[in-house]
Amino acid sequence: MQRKLTALTLVSLVAALALATGCKKKTPTTTPEARPPVTSKAPETAVPPPATAAPRKDVESEVLSKDIAEMNKAGYLTDAFFDYDQSDLREDARTALAADAAWLKKYPTVQVLIEGHCDERGTAAYNLALGDRRANAAKEYLVSLGVDGSKLRTVSYGKERPFCTESSESCWQQNRRAHLVITAK
Amino acid sequence: MFRPFVFIAALFCLLAAPAFGQQPVPTPAPGQDIQLTIKSGVARRLTVAVPALDAPGTAALQAQVTDPFTATLRSDLEYAGAFVVAEPALYPQGYRDPSTQDAADRWLGTGAEVLVDSRGSVSGDKVSIEGRVWDLKSRKLIFGRRYSGGASYVERIAHTFANDLVKYFTGKPGNFLSTILYVTEHPGSIKEIEAMDFDGRNTRTLTSHKSIAINPSGAAGRIAYTSYVRLYPQIWTMGLDGADKREVPTGVDLNASPSLSPDGREIAFAGSASGNADIYTVGVAGGTAKRLTTSRALEASPAWSPTGRQILYTSDLTGTPQIYVMDAEGTNSRRVTFAGNWNDEGSWSPDGSRIAFACRNEGDFNICVMDFQTGQTVQITSEGSNGHPTWSPDGEKIVYSSRRSGSTQIYTSDANGQNKRQLTKGGNHYQPSWIP
Repeated sequence: MQRKLTALTLVSLVAALALATGCKKKTPTTTPEARPPVTSKAPETAVPPPATAAPRKDVESEVLSKDIAEMNKAGYLTDAFFDYDQSDLREDARTALAADAAWLKKYPTVQVLIEGHCDERGTAAYNLALGDRRANAAKEYLVSLGVDGSKLRTVSYGKERPFCTESSESCWQQNRRAHLVITAK
Repeated sequence: MFRPFVFIAALFCLLAAPAFGQQPVPTPAPGQDIQLTIKSGVARRLTVAVPALDAPGTAALQAQVTDPFTATLRSDLEYAGAFVVAEPALYPQGYRDPSTQDAADRWLGTGAEVLVDSRGSVSGDKVSIEGRVWDLKSRKLIFGRRYSGGASYVERIAHTFANDLVKYFTGKPGNFLSTILYVTEHPGSIKEIEAMDFDGRNTRTLTSHKSIAINPSGAAGRIAYTSYVRLYPQIWTMGLDGADKREVPTGVDLNASPSLSPDGREIAFAGSASGNADIYTVGVAGGTAKRLTTSRALEASPAWSPTGRQILYTSDLTGTPQIYVMDAEGTNSRRVTFAGNWNDEGSWSPDGSRIAFACRNEGDFNICVMDFQTGQTVQITSEGSNGHPTWSPDGEKIVYSSRRSGSTQIYTSDANGQNKRQLTKGGNHYQPSWIP
């Protein structure tokens, strides 16, 4: 419940920020990119957060006793979000993935599928290629933080399996992501 | 809804037709003095009189054979672009042999230059139809052929006759027995591949993977597509009726936008190794895929030229997706589109002289058609967001998807954008691919 609320807050804040700043390409202002309210309020330099960031309050024995559907529902892993037509990891995406990396290193038997998703704009074929890039960008970053690459697989869904189907920036931001799914423990 | 037996039976009928069904009617050969051939690009349309099929029989026969045959033939000829059907209310009763001046004058009085006469006979569930085409000025029979088949396929017989007329007068293959493949969306992001006739009728379901099946394309009697049925996207092929589905292992990821070579032996597709999409080719049975592009840019949407010598594809090498062309071996690549900030989903016309593609500058995507030699480009849509154009077998029409009414539907138009028709309704349908 706690995680759900946090996730919801995060989502709505992302949406609000996204709406306020608009799509990157349409409004080339100096406003910072839309990003969720991460705890760090550091200046905009690309300092990778410490690998131990955001410790999760879970009890090890409890975590692995859950079935896989429950583990995914519990929200142990956080998705990484992207800017329009980009596969570079934003600061908030790095923060989310750093926390994911810390958790995955704690449970090294867990296997994860990283799904690359895109918003509805642009052609289907191009978005499949872009989703592939996003999923692999997330995977590479996790591996760089010490996660065993053999436990990570990627798949691109392009714009074929959206999380949200309205034609608005808040919805599009939800769909531009690398979505982490636990597939084995 | 899909009834494989009926469809296979229809196919058999179609395949058998050239061998058994069509026989030249034993009538005079076309005279050398008749010059009715319509050249491509000539705006003038030939006015034809198409009286109802002359077939003796009951009212039931009228509804099952005569009416559908006549309606299909008239509708096909109107759609073809080369003909105008003279107003049927003006047709004289009888006078189906216009070899006399009196009979010919009665038909000429309707505005027609040509009479398309058809006579049928039905025995059991078999129908035999004889088509006779007369040039009214010279009063000469210029084309004659007999067609036969099951009575329930009378519309296919009409399509076959219409194809023959288009071929006779324009020299190009008709579209009337062609198929449009497309993707239909179901709840839960399930996407299946379906097919319909050129006019949107006779829809049938080709996949029921209950997964994501997308990007169908066809050549040489096979269809290639991408399916997520095994969780990871793979290329599959199947027959035109959806039977004989086969996986095509490639050894790489992504396996998007497969395009069958014109001879059906190879598949070009967007593949990926570690997050960098490139164009690959693989034999139709699968194996080790050959990488054709090597840039760090993202490449997708390959399409073979009609000769199989070149491949169109999209690359974001310069920062925006643009269309490029290369030899089928991956050599001699060059950029083709320069206007706008997104050009994608290129498709070659059957004669190789033009390409159609999804084009965008600001706002929505439209459909553009470019003369491949001169680069001269015309935008043929102006409303909604449009995509995935491909060409009809005769190169006169383009099919594309468009979201102009809240949902995505499939449309056809002439290659210049005129004579727009909506083929699908309800739900969402997209990624159309027109195959002979």
